[in-house]
Amino acid sequence: MSVVHGTRPTAPGGDVRTLAEAVMPPGTVPPPLPGFVVSSFSPLAAAAAERCLATRHGNPPALTRTAIVLVSGSGDAGMAEHVAHLVDGGLRLGPLLFFQAVPNSVAGHVAARWGLRGPVVCLCPTGDPKADGLAQARLLVDDGDADEVLVVLVEQTGAGDSAHALLVTKGDSP
Amino acid sequence: MTEPPLRAGITGLAVVSALGRGAQAQLADAPAFGPVRRFDVSARRVATAATLADAGTLADELSGVIAGACTGLSALERANTPLLLGIHGHPDAGRSAAATTAGFAANLAARAGLAGVARIYTCACVSGSTAVADAAAAIRAGRSGRVVVAAGYLVEPDQFALFDAGRALATDGAARPFSAGRSGLLLGDAVSAVVLEPVGTREVAAEVVGWGRAGDAHHVVRPDPNGRGLARAVGDALRRAGIGPDELGYVNANASGADGDSAEAAALRGALDGHRVPVSSTKSVHGHGLEGSGLLELVVTVLAVRAGKLPVNHGHLGADPDCDLDLILDAPRPATSPYALTVNAAFGGADTALLVKAVS
Repeated sequence: MSVVHGTRPTAPGGDVRTLAEAVMPPGTVPPPLPGFVVSSFSPLAAAAAERCLATRHGNPPALTRTAIVLVSGSGDAGMAEHVAHLVDGGLRLGPLLFFQAVPNSVAGHVAARWGLRGPVVCLCPTGDPKADGLAQARLLVDDGDADEVLVVLVEQTGAGDSAHALLVTKGDSP
Repeated sequence: MTEPPLRAGITGLAVVSALGRGAQAQLADAPAFGPVRRFDVSARRVATAATLADAGTLADELSGVIAGACTGLSALERANTPLLLGIHGHPDAGRSAAATTAGFAANLAARAGLAGVARIYTCACVSGSTAVADAAAAIRAGRSGRVVVAAGYLVEPDQFALFDAGRALATDGAARPFSAGRSGLLLGDAVSAVVLEPVGTREVAAEVVGWGRAGDAHHVVRPDPNGRGLARAVGDALRRAGIGPDELGYVNANASGADGDSAEAAALRGALDGHRVPVSSTKSVHGHGLEGSGLLELVVTVLAVRAGKLPVNHGHLGADPDCDLDLILDAPRPATSPYALTVNAAFGGADTALLVKAVS
């Protein structure tokens, strides 16, 4: 990965304030998520988001102008491998796979369940995933399109699948 | 004394779609759909897409448009310009463990002599448009100088199979946005790049004067039938631009020929406060370019308004009462305003709106 110098379009100095946080450590087996099959990517993201939002808001809906920023370097590797296997083998693809073809889908699930009306942004990190997610969160809040941001970090790696969700807003952490 | 906000201008652009390479090709007034020959579609319900016959790899095509958009920049200037990329992922994801999206993006930046990769957007059909909104916001706030935004999708077997399995593809060989009898979307190649920078240094093709990003909070993949998220994005774009809907001259719609076109019509009717702004969806000629769509449609919008010729909404069979808009049918219309809006929506209820002021 190259190092960015020049004038990188990120948030200014300062920080975001963490309102709630949930960690699903490597090896976590998330509960099934109806409508999502084959891969743990979306169930993990949804479970981390659910736990984080429940800490802050109790039960859904929250009905807030909260953005979702989903950050993953691996992307939904399980889904990508499964689709490649089916296509290369000339096998039939089930229609459910279409609905989880992009990381936006699980973000949409979380947004619909909790009534989160802010932007939906999915990123592949260019460096530290948490730093990228928080920089994007700060940009959206500073620009005025969201009051809070749910940052969800999800990775599918050989070390085990993991997820980490943070609900943040503008302001320095105490 | 408070300094006036900086303005974000498009100072370079380059584009490849099934309509051809370069700006002029994008103004063709005929759909580019045809049989898919790039890979085997014999097991698919649908075998039609908009593909460029001599397209190279996605890496080569993205490198080509980035280089094209950067024409006129010195090596030193490029070395101080980061890349924002919109993409589904590494084209070999799922087949090679070594295929990382971050590595793919870093290689693109290195090939172009750019400063590196600032952000990689993987948010489906709003990837490129979100990147432009973020870049314009950072420039206006004085937190960014020049950036390159690139986004790309070339029709390939995996997404084609998924859309086919989801019965999302049109079965009658044409994309028919907003039309009665529409049966779905058709995929299309979409690779483009723009250089965005504060206005005042170089010649500007268009300014990005407004933008909005919002979410539907409605469903995993289906849009809010009332279009409330998209309407908020359009309203935010108008507010940031400081203009009313009566000053808008054109909307390049997201509509693809899918059922959800009516949700967008509702959003536009609401956000434009009853003003009958000319509307077309250029997906009716170049197809749906997924992660590449938002940026391609921004580029096509700028080119069309600069050329003074608003594109036709092709494939229209008849009026759908749920899509009551001032559609551009039969022939292109003359542009009467420099202000144009391009909107995009994606799975997850993600909505974006970009408002440009073209410079003739």
